[in-house]
Amino acid sequence: MIDIQNLHFAYRKKPVFTGLSLRLQPGHIYGLLGKNGTGKSTLLRNIAGLLFPDKGKIDVLGFTPGKRQPSFLQEVFMVPEEFYLPDVPLWHLVQYHAPFYPKFNQAQFEKYIAEFEIPSGSTLQNMSYGQKKKVLISFGLASNAAMLLMDEPTNGLDIMSKSQFRKVMAGTLDEKKCIVISTHQVKDLENLIDRITIIDEGKILFDQTVDAISRKLSFQISFDSEEIAQALYGESSLRGAAIISRNTAGEESKLDLELLYKAIVLNGPVITSVFKD
Amino acid sequence: MGKHWSENRKKYTLSLIAIAGLLLLWFIVVLITDGRGIETEVQLSTYYTGLFLVGCLYASMLFADLGSKTRGLNYLVVPASHFEKLLAALFYCVIVFFVCYTAIFYVIDIIMVKTGNSLLYNHWLKTHAAGDVFVPRKVLNVFISPGEHRNQPGFVFYLLLFYFVLQSVFILGSVYFAKFSFIKTVICALLIGLVITFLIAKLIVPILPPGSYHNGINSYEIYTVKNTASGDGVMIYSDAATDKLVALPEWINPVLLFLLKYAFAPLFWLATYYRLKEKEI
Repeated sequence: MIDIQNLHFAYRKKPVFTGLSLRLQPGHIYGLLGKNGTGKSTLLRNIAGLLFPDKGKIDVLGFTPGKRQPSFLQEVFMVPEEFYLPDVPLWHLVQYHAPFYPKFNQAQFEKYIAEFEIPSGSTLQNMSYGQKKKVLISFGLASNAAMLLMDEPTNGLDIMSKSQFRKVMAGTLDEKKCIVISTHQVKDLENLIDRITIIDEGKILFDQTVDAISRKLSFQISFDSEEIAQALYGESSLRGAAIISRNTAGEESKLDLELLYKAIVLNGPVITSVFKD
Repeated sequence: MGKHWSENRKKYTLSLIAIAGLLLLWFIVVLITDGRGIETEVQLSTYYTGLFLVGCLYASMLFADLGSKTRGLNYLVVPASHFEKLLAALFYCVIVFFVCYTAIFYVIDIIMVKTGNSLLYNHWLKTHAAGDVFVPRKVLNVFISPGEHRNQPGFVFYLLLFYFVLQSVFILGSVYFAKFSFIKTVICALLIGLVITFLIAKLIVPILPPGSYHNGINSYEIYTVKNTASGDGVMIYSDAATDKLVALPEWINPVLLFLLKYAFAPLFWLATYYRLKEKEI
């Protein structure tokens, strides 16, 4: 679905990617994690055809994104972190914008709008930033584009809206769709993503499915000093130490995405070595 | 087209009201200060000054969205080809604006010419001498130069052509410059104009031998050069017997003329298309 080979990209003289390769498959929700300024948004923009690679190749659904052909744009919907929606009533959005997406489903759009608790007769002009973002997410999902790119989708959403977001997203994936969510708010994506890709300094630091992580790693709170000492990564807290260790017992534990992220950024080689076995 | 209208209709409607207001204000000022009604020269100059100013200003804002990260992204990800997007923009900027501006101008113009005429008539009733005939001001057809022969394009025709070329330059400028597009386009156009003038004056003219264009730009007559009797310089003069004529094929003249008249605007639209294609956000 997305095949990125040897991607080189720089903003003027500041290189962002120097040979990044990545392959994303349909039927997954990918969590693209990384520190601020590591190139998450730049990668999404390259995939969406808004930025052009300096070197290397990007293939999305058989298209070269940079050409921005209509048949490509119909299949790729982007929810950027900062976005613009015209000050029009919601029905205008459906009447004038939706026809550009042949697979747009109005009933679906209305369902998502209702789930996000947005009054259907309202105008975008009178909506808050969070409400507008929910409209954009609803529109993107209802467009039924094969590729949904979301850049920090939970930024600006309140606690209830984040919960609504997770609920809506959980019911939207099918085997033909690929959803990429870029975020640094990893807690918001727990139980939602099924593959985790961590970028750091323009390189893929870690790329595994949640299943593989659960099979190989164990996340727990430990009070046992010996266990803490042998852990792959640990963080002390008031309730003992949160640790990541090898999953030798074969029991699945609840994935702590934030802990995993920190472990990979701070102690990457040790964690990734587990997946080479 | 529908999407463009849906997103911009408020802006366009307000702009047209503003244009109508400014035209009305200007004609009122003319009526108050002049006292001779709305004369045809005033109508003509008002129409074209407004067309050039507002038309170019509007053109310079046509792709202003691309200067903003959020709006530009919203524009570029719409599933339509660059050609379709350009066509929709040109339709509103070149055709719809021209038609609306002309319609608004005429509505205001007709009202103000009639108002001016009634004021003039009242004045004439009080002051006219016996035998004087009242001659009302006429609403001008702004597409025909005063005194122009109908079958021969005159000054106004070339003025309109120049307007469309200039507008296309500002459309291109709106894609090139993210901010202050109007000012930057004016500066660039002036600089390019100066460079071309400099090249012609300092490079092309000195290269050409003494002479002049003979019959259009496809033929050049080289004058006879003779040493002066005293030997301190050269004398250049035209002598039909000795002058040389360099002539290119005759078809070049009408082709060049056609290109000068009609090719510039489409050429700038084409440049806009390619600039739009390579736009990154």
